Amino acid sequence: MTPGGPIPSLLGFAAGSLWRRKGRAIALGIGLGLTVMLVAAVLFLTESLRAEAARAQTGLPDVVVQRLVAGRPTVLSEDDAKPLAGIDSVAAVRPRVWGYVFLPALQGNVTVVGVRDGAPSLDGISGALEDGRDMRHGAHEMIAGSALARYMGLAIGDTLGMPSARPSPQLRLVGTFGSAVDLYTADVVLCDEADARAILGLDPGQATDLAIDLKNPEEARVVAGTVIDRMPGARVVDKSTLARIYTLAYGRRAGLIFAACIPALIALIVLALDRSSGLSPDERREIAILKAVGFSIRDVLLARMLEALLIASAATAAGLLLAYAWVFWLGAPGLRGALVGWSVLYPQTKLTPAVDLAQLLGIAAATVGPFVGLSIVPAYRAAIVEPMEAMRG
Amino acid sequence: MTRTATRAALVLLALPAVIGVLAVDAHARRARRDAQGPAIDAVSPRLPAGDLALSGGARWLRFPSMEEPGAAFADGIAVPDPDPAGGAMAPPIEAWITAAARERAR
Repeated sequence: MTPGGPIPSLLGFAAGSLWRRKGRAIALGIGLGLTVMLVAAVLFLTESLRAEAARAQTGLPDVVVQRLVAGRPTVLSEDDAKPLAGIDSVAAVRPRVWGYVFLPALQGNVTVVGVRDGAPSLDGISGALEDGRDMRHGAHEMIAGSALARYMGLAIGDTLGMPSARPSPQLRLVGTFGSAVDLYTADVVLCDEADARAILGLDPGQATDLAIDLKNPEEARVVAGTVIDRMPGARVVDKSTLARIYTLAYGRRAGLIFAACIPALIALIVLALDRSSGLSPDERREIAILKAVGFSIRDVLLARMLEALLIASAATAAGLLLAYAWVFWLGAPGLRGALVGWSVLYPQTKLTPAVDLAQLLGIAAATVGPFVGLSIVPAYRAAIVEPMEAMRG
Repeated sequence: MTRTATRAALVLLALPAVIGVLAVDAHARRARRDAQGPAIDAVSPRLPAGDLALSGGARWLRFPSMEEPGAAFADGIAVPDPDPAGGAMAPPIEAWITAAARERAR
């Protein structure tokens, strides 16, 4: 062996061997790298979206109650809150006024939300508002998502009239949401409840749904059952269901994308099988020569393993780096539309990585481990053959 | 150690280096995002739900967490509907344009 010990020597030999067959090594590395990139990018994006959805769950009501008529959600009366307020463990029942308005200029919906008088002010909360101030009740004012304001060409002080079945006031823009909350508010218009009712066509005393806060959130399921007893036909969604939907939604979308990638994955499996099924005559002859000049079976296996490790390490490193850059530095162009959604008013905020060291190591281990493992089997088969026999073919 | 072996060792070190750099970058970005928590906590109670504003088109559900569970025509139990019920019917855009024009004239 050359100076430096057997591993450095074998590493140098493995690198030289790869260089002699560089066309095959590069093709294999590119295929593996692209597959890692695609799978990692979908995982990075999915985990990031789930984390963002979970971030806003602190503000969710414990239980949401909607009225169903003919199987479809409809408005309910604020009086419906009274029998529910008497349920043990219920701290408060809040009728909420909100809904969607289609803006022809955008060819998309905006979400109009009525804010109750007495809601905590957003003024002074760092990052909540990008420009302007919080709205005042009774002044026909609104706060809008920054994407909505930008698309509509609205500046602070401008007014906006929204299409409505009833006469509704023009709303003056007094503030836009900050980038910290852009993911949740890009298409939102906050105004006071009276204005929201006028725009959405709700009568006084009507509400879109009821938000129930509990003294003990653990009792949400029990309370949900009691609500259905007291309000037959109601649709009750508890906080755990609200939270679970995002896990399901992005799990399913990620699954669909993986399904679409099946041809690419099959191609990689074929490549891997090609490695495991056998070696080329040249490679067999090379192993025979190595044994003839004094390499042990262990040395041969180690050299082949290092070859596979070099390809897999380089390809996995490149795949992970490209996936990360694609999703978090470039904003996942191409992938975002398929996995995230189809909003007209798209939030401009860059996504925050939820991936941690353990997940990165997991992806690397799941790629490198099988790839290296598959390379050892044919090398062992060739290494146990007598050198003369192998050279004769 | 030969130059080839040194280069090969560097290639092997690329994977742990990339993993380390990405983990550190992700941690730093998460810390910056966590610092924005008070703003999210202040705004989210005013919204119907904590859903992301990513599907607000005419056909796609804006608040799937509230609209999907037990929906009348969901594709499966607690499964978000990729093509929501009613999506085949376009909204009455012409009527809304007329209403918007009437509103502006007033």
